[in-house]
Amino acid sequence: MDVKFLIAGDRAVSVEFGKEICLEINAKVRMLEDKLKEEPIEGVVECVPTYCSLIVHYRPEILLYDQLVQELKKRLENLRGPREQKKIIKEVPVLYGGETGPDLEYCAQLEQTSVEEIIRKHSQHEYYVYMLGFAPGHPYMARFEEPFGFKRRESPRVSIPERSVVVQQNLSDLIPFKQPCGWNIIGSTPLDICNYEKEDPFLLNAGEWVRYVPITKAEYTQIRREVENGTYQVKTYTR
Amino acid sequence: MGISVENGGILTTVQDEGRFGYQAYGVSTSGAMDSHAFHIANLLVGNKMTEGALEMTFMGPTLTFTCDNIIAVTGGDLMPMLDGQPMPMYQAVLVRKGQKLQFGGARNGCRGYIAFAGGLEIPEVMGSKSTLLRNNLGGVKGRKLEKGDTIAFTAPKTELSNMENRKVPADIYPADEVVLRVVLGPQDDEFTERGIRSFFWNSGVITDEFDRMGCRIEREPIEHKGDGNINTDGISLGSIQVPANGKPIIMLADRQSTGGYAKIGTVISVDLPKIAQSRPGQKVRFIQVSLELAQSLYIRERNKMLELDEKLNGQEAL
Repeated sequence: MDVKFLIAGDRAVSVEFGKEICLEINAKVRMLEDKLKEEPIEGVVECVPTYCSLIVHYRPEILLYDQLVQELKKRLENLRGPREQKKIIKEVPVLYGGETGPDLEYCAQLEQTSVEEIIRKHSQHEYYVYMLGFAPGHPYMARFEEPFGFKRRESPRVSIPERSVVVQQNLSDLIPFKQPCGWNIIGSTPLDICNYEKEDPFLLNAGEWVRYVPITKAEYTQIRREVENGTYQVKTYTR
Repeated sequence: MGISVENGGILTTVQDEGRFGYQAYGVSTSGAMDSHAFHIANLLVGNKMTEGALEMTFMGPTLTFTCDNIIAVTGGDLMPMLDGQPMPMYQAVLVRKGQKLQFGGARNGCRGYIAFAGGLEIPEVMGSKSTLLRNNLGGVKGRKLEKGDTIAFTAPKTELSNMENRKVPADIYPADEVVLRVVLGPQDDEFTERGIRSFFWNSGVITDEFDRMGCRIEREPIEHKGDGNINTDGISLGSIQVPANGKPIIMLADRQSTGGYAKIGTVISVDLPKIAQSRPGQKVRFIQVSLELAQSLYIRERNKMLELDEKLNGQEAL
């Protein structure tokens, strides 16, 4: 396996599996991350998976760089194949259009298609969570079929609401907290993407898949109420 | 019973060692900017060195004590005063109920730490008391201290063994050029040879864009091979990002866990307190060192802290 160990200072090393953003390389990142959970290395503080690499934060007073790399190499030698990884899919309900999806019609215009077709493309395919970053719980997701043609808006909005569903090309992110954003907003989910009050604050983990499910305004209100009461169960299945 | 805030100062927050285990979810670690001064403050008052303390910036807060406790003030000299009288720094001091702690202003350095014996009653969020301002997380309601806040002490003390020996020499921070030692990587291969030479050869100046997230440096641009963008990857503490404009940004405690700019090098751990205590307008120069040296300096610093802990608090632990 063509793996590079990049020195990220005296307390971190970045294990890089390639330069291309694709499922195959990201799967290797995941596999090493999983391996380190199964066979932890004493002195490793935490690992952060990104598109093509896994940064390993460690404590040099417990093990030095050379020792860490040796331990990592051992674990890289017998990684499980990607086929053995189960696909975890989470359903994320979305209320498309309306006040909380102000760019839906604009997106249809950009694609020279109907609003229904935008919703179909967005909700029919599964999105892969490459990584989380930027803000707590913020997923970087992509789908692999029928990408939209449009990119970002010409000028970003200063602030968009939490739980917005935003899109460009083959990407679609969920916005955990109010933030500036240059992507088009096609809907809103009643689910919390990050809620510090909960024991497990985050909706998604890197490596999971998301299927967007269109819902009505009434369903949105109902689900939101359940989320706030803590009774809502995110629909999750493995394949 | 603890402290009551009469004035929050410019930027006073609760910080501990940092929030670990959640960077994979996009949560910054936060934690004390000057870990050296922070550790000493805790050890002086008999705490474990990672206990939550107050980090203050330039102008400290005004605090009234609503019960007795032993405290220590370390880091930048922000001129601490107890009831109007100068208070010694880098030393455990018993403060009585009703006394007022305030600060005159930054005379040397810019970030100070106040540690309280027994620690502060601050709920841990994801395992840490550290405040992450950007996401309103941890500390006192996820924000800086404000007038009217009260923070209780967890286990205040009026005596500690060895009280007269609970002092160490104060750190003094350079007011002119700050020299930061750097280990190359992770993306030094994204820069031209000329870019790397210039990075070490020419000094820069710390700009006003300097906060707990990062420190932007004005200087001759550092030349990339390409456009300076990489596939977003993980960022370590002290990482030096160089965006397309060629001007470096040192990533600090509240840095984002991931980012898409090429990182030419990483400031070594033992030199991070030097940035934490520097000010806009000061010159910065980078010097290349080996990873082996950086790690041995880090271990030496850690051992020094463990020795200090043993010397001051060895008996307490028994």
